[in-house]
Parts: sequence; C-alpha cells; structure tokens
Amino acid sequence: MTIVVLVKQVPDMNAVRVDSTTGSVRLSGKAMNSYDAYAVQHALTLGKALGAEVVAVTAGPANARDALTRALAMGADRGIHIELNDQDQRDSLDMANVFAEAIRPLQPSVVLCGQQSDDVGTGQVGPQLAELLGIPHVSSVMSVSAEGETIRVQRDTEGGYQQVSGPMPVLLASGSITEDPINPSLKGMMAAKRKPVEKVAAAERGSTTRISWSEPKAPKREAKGIIVQGASAEDAARQLVAWMKENKLVAS
Amino acid sequence: MSQGSGVLVIAEQRGGGLSPVVNELVTAGTSLVGQIGGSVTVGLVGADLDALAASAAGIAGVDRVVTVEDDRLATFNGTAWSAAVASITGNVAPAVVLAPATTAGRDYMPRVAARLGAGHAADAVAVDIVDGKVVATRSMLEDRVQATVAFEGDRPATITVRPGSFARAEAGTGSAAIEAFDVAFDDSMFALTASAPEAAAAGQQDLANAERIVAGGRGLGEPDKFALVEELAGVLNAAVAATRPLSDAGWRPHSDQIGQTGAQVSPKLYVAVGISGAAQHLMGVQNADYIVAINRDPEAPIFKVASFGIVGDLFDVVPAVIAELKAVQA
Repeated sequence: MTIVVLVKQVPDMNAVRVDSTTGSVRLSGKAMNSYDAYAVQHALTLGKALGAEVVAVTAGPANARDALTRALAMGADRGIHIELNDQDQRDSLDMANVFAEAIRPLQPSVVLCGQQSDDVGTGQVGPQLAELLGIPHVSSVMSVSAEGETIRVQRDTEGGYQQVSGPMPVLLASGSITEDPINPSLKGMMAAKRKPVEKVAAAERGSTTRISWSEPKAPKREAKGIIVQGASAEDAARQLVAWMKENKLVAS
Repeated sequence: MSQGSGVLVIAEQRGGGLSPVVNELVTAGTSLVGQIGGSVTVGLVGADLDALAASAAGIAGVDRVVTVEDDRLATFNGTAWSAAVASITGNVAPAVVLAPATTAGRDYMPRVAARLGAGHAADAVAVDIVDGKVVATRSMLEDRVQATVAFEGDRPATITVRPGSFARAEAGTGSAAIEAFDVAFDDSMFALTASAPEAAAAGQQDLANAERIVAGGRGLGEPDKFALVEELAGVLNAAVAATRPLSDAGWRPHSDQIGQTGAQVSPKLYVAVGISGAAQHLMGVQNADYIVAINRDPEAPIFKVASFGIVGDLFDVVPAVIAELKAVQA
C-alpha cells in the first residue's frame, strides 16, 4: 500500500521584506510549506496505521529538493522529485496535472497535501488533483486515523469540527495538526541522505492559458489612530476607557 | 472574455438560513453585470432548499434562483458539491462564477474549475472588469502583498470571494424566479460520510457575526495567560478570538482563529491583546469599525491599523483597563 504526500518548498516567511515606499517584495531563504509539514505528519500517522509506504513528492527546480529532504528526515520512506523549471508559467490546474501524471502509476491509497501554500496560498492544487485522479477529497483536515480499510478524519470548519470517514482512495488536504509537530532529529537527517529519491520529468504544459498574474505589491498602511506611549498603565487605561465612552463602545 | 453571460453566485447556508455573504456576492455580481451585461443567478445546493431559495429570490439584484436538491446533500461534501456546482454552471452558462471563500467554498470551487477546465482565483477581495477581462485581486505571502489574476480564454472565470469584501445587497425586496435542476450524482461521490459540524469544546462562537471581539496573540507568552483575554472579553461582553500561532500551538480551537484561513470579522469593536499584527491578521480584522491594540512593541504593525493603541506591558495594561471598565460600568 502506498501513501503519497506532496511537499512544496517556499521562501522563509519570516524573511519576507516589503519595501514600504515602492511596495515591492524581497524573498529569501527556504522552508517547507507550513501546511505540508502537517500533511507529512498525517501521512506518517496513516502509514504506521496501515503499514503503508510513505512517498514524498515535490515538483520544482533542482534547489527545491530541501523540502523533500525534510519530509524524508521526518520519516517518509522515499522521495520523488518532479523536475520542473517553468513553475511560474503554470497555474494550479497545470500543477495538479503534473502531480496527477507523476503519482498515478503509484496507485496511492491516500494522497495528502497541505491545505494551501504560504507563498501563493491558492489552496487549489489538492481538490484539483483529486478531480484529475477521480477520487473524493476532504479539506481542512486536522487529525487522521485508520480502522481497517476505513479512513477517519476530523475537519475544522467555521461551524465547528466535522467527522468524515470512508474508504480509500481519498485525497486529504491538511490544515492543522492536533499532535506535537515533528522536528527531524539528527538521526532522521542522516537517514534522509540514504533514502532513495527518484527524479522524473514533468508532464508538458498544455497550450491553454487560463489566467495571468500581475506583479505583487504591498498595500500601503499608515498609522492614523491615537497612540498612547510612555504613560502609566492606569493612565493609559483611563484614556482608553474615556475614548471608548466617547465613541459609545461602552455603557456609561 | 468567457463565452458565457452574466454572473452565477453560489450560495451558502449558515444556522439554517442563507449566509449574509450571499448578499455580498450579489452586490459584486450586480456590479459586474452592470459592466458585462447579463443577469445575476443564485445557485443553491443542499437538501430542503425551499425556504433558502425563497430568501435568495428576495435579495435585491437577483434575477433567477436555481437549486440542486438531494437528501444526500444534507451535510457538506466537497466532491458532490463540485459536481453540482459544475452542473449548474454548465446549465446557466455564466461569464463569472462567484462563491464564498469559506472552508466550503475553498473546498469545492477549485474542483469545479478543474471539472470545467477553467481558471480560478481563490480568496479574492475585489473583482473588476479591466480592458474587457475579469480581474480578481487577491493576497499572497500570508496577506503581506496583493496581486491581480486576469482571466484569459473562453471558460467562465471562477472566483471565491473573501467574506466582508463587499456591502450586503438588500434582502426581502426582490422576487426572482426559482427553478430546480436535476443532477445525476455518481454514488461514488457519497463514499465518504460526514457528521454535522459540532461546536468545539471551548464554547463555539460565530466570530464572523460578533459585535465585539477581544483577541489574544503570542505576546501572552503562555496558555494560562489567555484567561486575561477572557476576563477582558467578559467585562466588554465580547467574543474571544486568537491568532494563528495560538491556534496552531493548540492553545485555542481553530474556530477562534482570525485572519487568513481563519475568520474574517467585521465587529464594531476589536481589541488586540499581545498581537503584533502579522499581515494576514491585519487583513482579517480590517473591517472592524474600531480597533484597540495593546502591545509592548511600538513598531508592531497592529498600531498602523489601530484606532486607539497603548504601547505597554499587557500584563500591566489589561488589568488596569479591566479595573477602569468595571469602575465606569458599576
């Protein structure tokens, strides 16, 4: 039995710098997409419960390999690196097709991915991949378990938690975890170096252009409110409550 | 531009009624058809839709309501929903499909786009017509920046719109025609069974509709300190909320989370305690009428959006504010 988990390398979100005058953005560093780390943990939980092999899959240029290495260090059994150098030219449906072509031969019982990416954040690839594979999907997954051949998940919605269960194959998009996050150990990182990573070519991009993106810009923000600084806590509190009364935010 | 005409708005239920985000999407749709022509259709998917369809038909600006009803659609199921919405889209043949960027909308709409071979923009905050193209504005990099997505080609533009992005169209004034569509669902779409959502243990609340919210962030330092947020909320008769780091760390349920992937809120009063104001959080709260921020760091981005900010140690300031509020309310 095979479980596939998709991982994406993204810029370091703590190192994003925005030029406040031009609104332009500078990206640096690299990290595994935060939601993909949840997906890897869910994949490992199911892998253990089902006695399945966990295959981590990424798509991107040669330097996108780190996210794959991290998944292997967390405990995935092997990796597939789909070599792709024109990611910017492809929309989410193109990317879903790249993953569908690469993982279809594995006939996975469960496919996991992060709910969305930290950088572009469309959250589209998971449900679109499920459509292309012709399998059901569940999003906003926060915990997973397996009972025999039945997969059970808890999902997080605006209306509360929802329990979903059913047979495999299924695609799960992870939005959070309920257990403690796994940080790869030194042993895990050493082991990752010995785990096999297969390189495969990406499916050709279709000729259809569905969307085009503009250059991202930061929206301008300038302070416009009252700021109290250097006052005692009691004095600041008095000023705040007086202001709240003035604006009818408290009964007086 | 798409070969289709007009705008299809996919509705969502909440608490047994129509979610107010539907009225927001109708406003967006009405503005679009003013530029590209055609009419506004509302699509409803679920079980027992009569009352909801009647509400949708009453929203000002709606020309037509179409329903897909099936007993198996009583609880949300993204796989079946995507088939239903794709089928409605095929029948209505709109130029633009708008759905709410809720957990449900963001679940089925990408799959609808895949079924239709259409482009998709998720979580848009604005939708316009620019040079004859449908253009959605959305944020990236955890809401730090915005970019536009222009739709090319002949398929409908499919878009999820962040709740709170448009004013609500008036309810109870229209009288649109209602029409039921049949969709032949494949049994395999119901292979998964889902329970009705149940409130999270820590007092589920509807943040999106809360009048007053007090939220805590990482500045609280440790989970027990959240009691301070709860006490302030109690005095203000407000709902409590948290930032993503707190809900990810398991301090608070995700239903309490505000910002990207959490609730978009539009309260009259929003009080941010120990929240520096990561960009995604600022986007989540920007529709509040009044924002109060208490934070130690004068450079914290939250002060850029605050109507009233106090730079100071929250462990001194919050108890002082609670005492002062109790004094004036006594």
